[in-house]
Amino acid sequence: MTEMVTLRVNGREHPCRAGIATTLLTVLRDQCELPGTKRGCNQGVCGACSVLVGGKPVRACLTLATDCEDREVTTIEGVGTPARPNAVQQALIDTGAVQCGFCTPGMVIAATALLEEHPDADIETIRQGLSSNLCRCSGYRKIVEAVSLAARRTAS
Amino acid sequence: MMTQTMIAPETLEDALAAMHAEPGSMALAGGATLVAMMNAGLVEPNSLVALRHVDTLRGTRQLDDGGIELGAMRRHRETALETPFKDGQTVLSYAASQIANPTVRNMGTLGGSIAFNDPGADYPAALVAANATILIVGATGTREVSAEAFFVDWYTTALEAGELVAGVRVPAALVGSIGHYEKLARIAGDFAVASVALQVTWSGDSIAAARIAIGGSGPTPLHLAEADDMLIGTGADSDALSKAGLLLAQAADPVDDVRASADYRRKVIPRLLAKAMREIAPAREAA
Amino acid sequence: MKFEDSFVVAASPANVWRAITDPGVIASCLPGCEDIEALSPTSYRAGIRVEVGPIKATFRVEVELTDQDMPNFVRCITKGEEGTRASMLQATSELTLRDIDGASTEVAYDSDVSVTGRLGKFGLGVMKKKAESLGCTFAENFRVQVEAA
Ligand SMILES: Cc1cc2nc3c(=O)[nH]c(=O)nc-3n(C[C@H](O)[C@H](O)[C@H](O)COP(=O)(O)OP(=O)(O)OC[C@H]3O[C@@H](n4cnc5c(N)ncnc54)[C@H](O)[C@@H]3O)c2cc1C
Ligand code: FES
Ligand code: FES
Repeated sequence: MTEMVTLRVNGREHPCRAGIATTLLTVLRDQCELPGTKRGCNQGVCGACSVLVGGKPVRACLTLATDCEDREVTTIEGVGTPARPNAVQQALIDTGAVQCGFCTPGMVIAATALLEEHPDADIETIRQGLSSNLCRCSGYRKIVEAVSLAARRTAS
Repeated sequence: MMTQTMIAPETLEDALAAMHAEPGSMALAGGATLVAMMNAGLVEPNSLVALRHVDTLRGTRQLDDGGIELGAMRRHRETALETPFKDGQTVLSYAASQIANPTVRNMGTLGGSIAFNDPGADYPAALVAANATILIVGATGTREVSAEAFFVDWYTTALEAGELVAGVRVPAALVGSIGHYEKLARIAGDFAVASVALQVTWSGDSIAAARIAIGGSGPTPLHLAEADDMLIGTGADSDALSKAGLLLAQAADPVDDVRASADYRRKVIPRLLAKAMREIAPAREAA
Repeated sequence: MKFEDSFVVAASPANVWRAITDPGVIASCLPGCEDIEALSPTSYRAGIRVEVGPIKATFRVEVELTDQDMPNFVRCITKGEEGTRASMLQATSELTLRDIDGASTEVAYDSDVSVTGRLGKFGLGVMKKKAESLGCTFAENFRVQVEAA
């Protein structure tokens, strides 16, 4: 049995159909036409599906769509665009920190939330902050470097 | 066809009524475990009662006697970073800060973790070491169960059908006591292979009081008053530690699984205990 | 998963044999075993309900006694599926009875069980612990029932 839910994603309303077990991840990808959020493990482990809910990073694969009606959701599509990347996205490009790119949307979400909270994050804080996200290409060094660059750029 | 609904009550009374109205209802807290199980097809609840809107489950309350009550919907992040624990009560913030990773700590809750009682979870042993009391609400009223009695068996607690965890009361720890949680995991953010939660009070060069609970090593956290007693009056020398550690290891009933064999878990318990004692040495000198 | 254990019943091997090859007795001693039904003298069908915390499952199994050496030895093969979902259970079990003194019998069991599908994803370590405690409960119930008979 499915019901109608209206989600607010990246500032826009999306009417969706969701059953009791339908996750936010499924709805974002299949109904909101926002496939930037990736499905890796579907078990909360990898972080590829990270999105911001009420400004805080959560796993979209562990969040039920019907439990999001009153919450503001921000996906990778909402933090920056190819024309106007946010500081983290720009730094990832400049550092060459993207390999296959599968983990990148989740990394950007986690790093964006981290810098929001700790604009002057040092390397240790960045490593801790990104520990929620796995990169199967194991490009961690470059990713940490990029986020550190973004932090320094934002500070100056 | 079963009615499959998500109910989002704003009061505890409405939440309990909703649990009651639909047999087979499950509480939804952070979803970090429940939704993962639904994704894997392990549980198929016909109705969910989301506890997120019940404000009274979210706060903390400082008690006059130095105790603290934590609501069931406290996120791990809040317990780790934003709770004014004192003395040995800090065993809980140490445990909470080692659960999973920052994102999951934004989602998962105290109540969800203890209601599920995963043998590798971090709160159960920490709550037993802190001698906490679990506050339970049901259709017929409230009741309190010591953490030691709350964890009953693998993934099983003292909760009856339709009951909810309302919160946890952490009593004041002895003045000057030190709390610590030592976790062994394959990688940071994984469930514990085994863990040691403790509260220790020193008097000069010897231990005046100790409460040790072992996690990840059986259906419930393991606490033996006998093992606590073996440390009292000693200077936590390696002899006393290995005696207490061995006693605990013998009483443990760990699983063989992907994380570690049962034998390995037993071997590691005395070493984790010794390590925990070494880790608190600086806190002891500062005290 | 392999299980091995033994227990002693204060009854003759013949009496233990009669009980242990009687599906009705087995069903009444095994917690969670329901709707047992004989298909032939050497095979039966049953439901087995297992619960680990919030995870609940009922397997429909068929048990076939493939070898018997009365009153010393039975081997059986158990195969089953869980409801409409995707878990399969397969087990080969052997029971050996040993006469101790004519009035008491040691029952040794040795079982190799595999679970695949959704339940296989769940921690098998804990499943094994659950199954072991089920084995102990069965042994105790069986002992009490046969000794009372
Ligand atoms: C990748 C990952 C890694 C993890 N690592 C760890 C770890 O290292 N250590 C650790 O301890 N945990 C770990 N966890 C588990 C995490 O802590 C979960 O958040 C927690 O176990 C469940 O909390 P929840 O609030 O998400 O509960 P939910 O998933 O919402 O619910 C869990 C269960 O509890 C019931 N429930 C929830 N609230 C209540 C209540 N108030 N009263 C009664 N029943 C209730 C639900 O019905 C359900 O059965 C990990 C989880 C993930 C996804
Ligand atoms: S897909 Fe959500 S954490 Fe892996
Ligand atoms: S770039 Fe490939 S997974 Fe991270």
